[in-house]
Amino acid sequence: MAMFLARSLLQRRSPQLIRWKSSFPQAALKNDVSARAAAELELPPFDYSPAPYSGPSGDEILAKRREFLNPSLLHLYKNPVNVVEGKKQYLFDEKGRRYLDAFGGIATVCCGHCHPDVVDAIINQTKRLQHSTVLYLNHAIADFAQALASKLPGNLKVVFFTNSGTEANELAIMIARLYAGCHDIISLRNAYHGNAAGTMGATAQSIWKFNVVQSGVHHVVNPDPYRGIFGSDGEKYARDVQDVINFGTSGNVAAFISEAIQGVGGIVELAPGYLPAAYSMVKKAGGLCIADEVQAGFGRTGSHFWGFESHGVVPDIVTMAKGIGNGIPLGAVVTTPEIAEVLTRRCYFNTFGGNPVCTAAGLAVLKVIEKEKLQENALLVGSYLKERLTALKDKYELIGDVRGRGLMLGVELVTDRELKTPAKAETLHVMDQMKELGVLIGKGGYYGNVFRITPPLCFTKEDADFLADAMDLTLSRM
Amino acid sequence: MPLSAAARLLLRRSPPSLLPRRHSFFRRSISQPAAKTKDAAAVAPPSELPPFDYVPPPYTGPSGDEILAKRREYLSPSIMHLYKKPVNVVNGKMQYLFDDKGRRYLDAFGGIATVCCGHCHPDVVAAIVEQTKKLQHSTVLYLNHSIADFAEALASKLPGNLKVAFFTNSGTEANELAILIAKMYTGCQDVISLRNAYHGNASGTMGSTAQSIWKFSVVQSGVHHAINPDPYRGIFGSDGEKYSRDVQDIINFGTSGNVAAFVAEAIQGVGGIVEMAPGYLPLAYEMVRKAGGLCIADEVQAGFARTGSHFWGFETHGVVPDIVTVAKGIGNGIPLGAVVTTPEIAKALTKRNYFNTFGGNPVCTAAGLAVLRVIEKEKLQENAHKVGSHLKQRLNSLKDKYELIGDVRGKGLMLGVEFVTDRELKTPAKDETLHLLEQLKDLGVLVGKGGYYGNVFRITPALCFTKEDADFLVDAMDYTLSRI
Repeated sequence: MAMFLARSLLQRRSPQLIRWKSSFPQAALKNDVSARAAAELELPPFDYSPAPYSGPSGDEILAKRREFLNPSLLHLYKNPVNVVEGKKQYLFDEKGRRYLDAFGGIATVCCGHCHPDVVDAIINQTKRLQHSTVLYLNHAIADFAQALASKLPGNLKVVFFTNSGTEANELAIMIARLYAGCHDIISLRNAYHGNAAGTMGATAQSIWKFNVVQSGVHHVVNPDPYRGIFGSDGEKYARDVQDVINFGTSGNVAAFISEAIQGVGGIVELAPGYLPAAYSMVKKAGGLCIADEVQAGFGRTGSHFWGFESHGVVPDIVTMAKGIGNGIPLGAVVTTPEIAEVLTRRCYFNTFGGNPVCTAAGLAVLKVIEKEKLQENALLVGSYLKERLTALKDKYELIGDVRGRGLMLGVELVTDRELKTPAKAETLHVMDQMKELGVLIGKGGYYGNVFRITPPLCFTKEDADFLADAMDLTLSRM
Repeated sequence: MPLSAAARLLLRRSPPSLLPRRHSFFRRSISQPAAKTKDAAAVAPPSELPPFDYVPPPYTGPSGDEILAKRREYLSPSIMHLYKKPVNVVNGKMQYLFDDKGRRYLDAFGGIATVCCGHCHPDVVAAIVEQTKKLQHSTVLYLNHSIADFAEALASKLPGNLKVAFFTNSGTEANELAILIAKMYTGCQDVISLRNAYHGNASGTMGSTAQSIWKFSVVQSGVHHAINPDPYRGIFGSDGEKYSRDVQDIINFGTSGNVAAFVAEAIQGVGGIVEMAPGYLPLAYEMVRKAGGLCIADEVQAGFARTGSHFWGFETHGVVPDIVTVAKGIGNGIPLGAVVTTPEIAKALTKRNYFNTFGGNPVCTAAGLAVLRVIEKEKLQENAHKVGSHLKQRLNSLKDKYELIGDVRGKGLMLGVEFVTDRELKTPAKDETLHLLEQLKDLGVLVGKGGYYGNVFRITPALCFTKEDADFLVDAMDYTLSRI
């Protein structure tokens, strides 16, 4: 197997001694072929050199972070990467080393780091007008709202702009509660929807929930094909929604909210058939269906533009953020004119929301996705990558599950395939090793044992191969 | 009424809305003349806007009407705008905005106290452009110097041990986080805020917000609203001590005796530039601390040198809060917010994971750092103090002249003018306020509106506002008021 790998690597890449070969003395001794493979493991070629960096070093930054930033600030890796520049699907550290960014700033950089069209839009607008608020007119917000609405089905065509996914979900939940005249909402266990007072309630993983009052949220059994008790039987899981409505509420609810594929929860796809059944129950109970597309939206799933489309449903409210602006702080809530009416009962205002610069970036992103056929690419490359990861699963016991769609993929590591015991330490180790090899991936799942692979949608087949090869190499040496 | 030569000249240059016959509608709905004396009718219209060496590029985009139509179709039916004929703002430069016809306006609202350095300030634009080309976003999971440099610079502007920053994307997010931190730190759920306050629009912050028009009929729990120490409308006038007793009463009779936090703006912004009666804040802080609670200073509008005398609004009250929240001016309009607190209090958030995807991104923090430098380099705080004082003086003169002005208040370049139809009863002059707002717009001045009754002008321009700008603003108001 190692020989096959080495041969295929040699065929694809020009032989070149890489400087990190020296950091794996054990591997070199242990396995000649794998050592040669490591040496041959080279990032796909990329015609860009970052500018020389003369700013603070990683250590200096870490010291300042410890002193001036919140102590709960998370960072990845024992030796965190000092990311200084980005270009398309690559990031560069302070030494100019290139990394394959397979995490995409958490499924956020969809067009690619510093995509020229998006950068131009931002710069042009920043020079004209950064901010004035919607109290005055400006074409940027109107043009983008129109373009965004055109990507949604049905009567989903009224847009509210916010600055983040948390703000979008907070607003969506409030709209639903007002529309339905109810307080109860239903979300899925293992969900993540945000960190403010309302969204923290909908979020359903203990590590993300603080010990503060969160009311009116009911968490239903997660239709998790891998860890769930009903396997892939979506209909059986859906019964819990009806049970919650029947026995936990007045029989009427405000909303049901879910991600099409759980992101923070570890790229957990909803068991087939679940969502249409759940939607039907919620609608019968007078509730609205909210689709949280913060991670799965904007072409990432490849087969469709929106994650919910792959379940064959049409929600009442859609929330988005992250990829919507390729990383600029922007969020949105889209709903029907009838539902949006509820906000006319009082005044609702968001100072930064809908500002010219962010909405100009949003419009540029939609144009890039279309022009560069990023959704099709996500399907093509994502399917290919999933195949290669599945082949790795056949090879290594450590991989318990490979799942996801398009360029929203997850790899769950377990120490026992029967018991599905989470392989937390191994996950951290592999992540670290892959970083050393030049690949940045993400981590998630309740147990912290799932790789989250959510790169910019311009990710290529060669990038996918490099990622899979690096993972293969790392796993082979454990 | 007889028109002077100057007035005729002005009318020829200005849009037709200033013609006398358009005024009759407003005259019918306005009960009393604005002016105290008959001399007021002879006020000359303001001269030209102060000179400004900049011409915006020609605009070829959609017209105001096209934009309005799209807004009606694709943006919330609840989206608000100012003016019967809203202004299509296309370019901004320092304290001026330009519409689609290239007409220049004096921006005395500053995008709601947000554009502090001035629209498209070159230093801030340069910082944004440079960083946008290098790296827009990666999250704090990786290192980047921008967030660290800005956090350090921001901390240096705060007193005491307030030196740990969390970055968010807005004031609402910052206040939500501040409230969460306080609840986690104290183990209590009760929060005290002031009536007439505005702190945000998410689940927790809507609870602290205390004006019915901003509160939707959804469950908001654990917040108690204390009597507002409002010198103009409050029952105790300027006696801060008397107002503060309500805080103790709430603690004693409305909670377990322990609270999580007290949150207040140094000067209420949305509430109509209401300053706190002197002596109030130190007393309230003391009571809250005795009850184990933390004191949160919402500096979203009053912070970043706007009050002129100090960098932070709370400094004018001689207190040091436990948590400070900022947004708006922090980035000259870029979406950015922050919570600053002590290392000890910040630890409360280590009990679980807390993360903000966009928060602290390289571009916004680079903008924030540029803003701090501009404020220092261009001595914007001193300017706010100087020009703001001059402006306040002139507004007070207007108050002496026109019965319609009930109160002039505020500090630095955070000023308010309250209109009333009866000075004794303080009856809010809502229609007149809207009318004046419109008239000022037609004369080339954009001001804001606020207050519970919608009868207060909010004047919160970019801090580079000049004495000439202030004079133009007041002359325009004088002229407009003289013709009611």
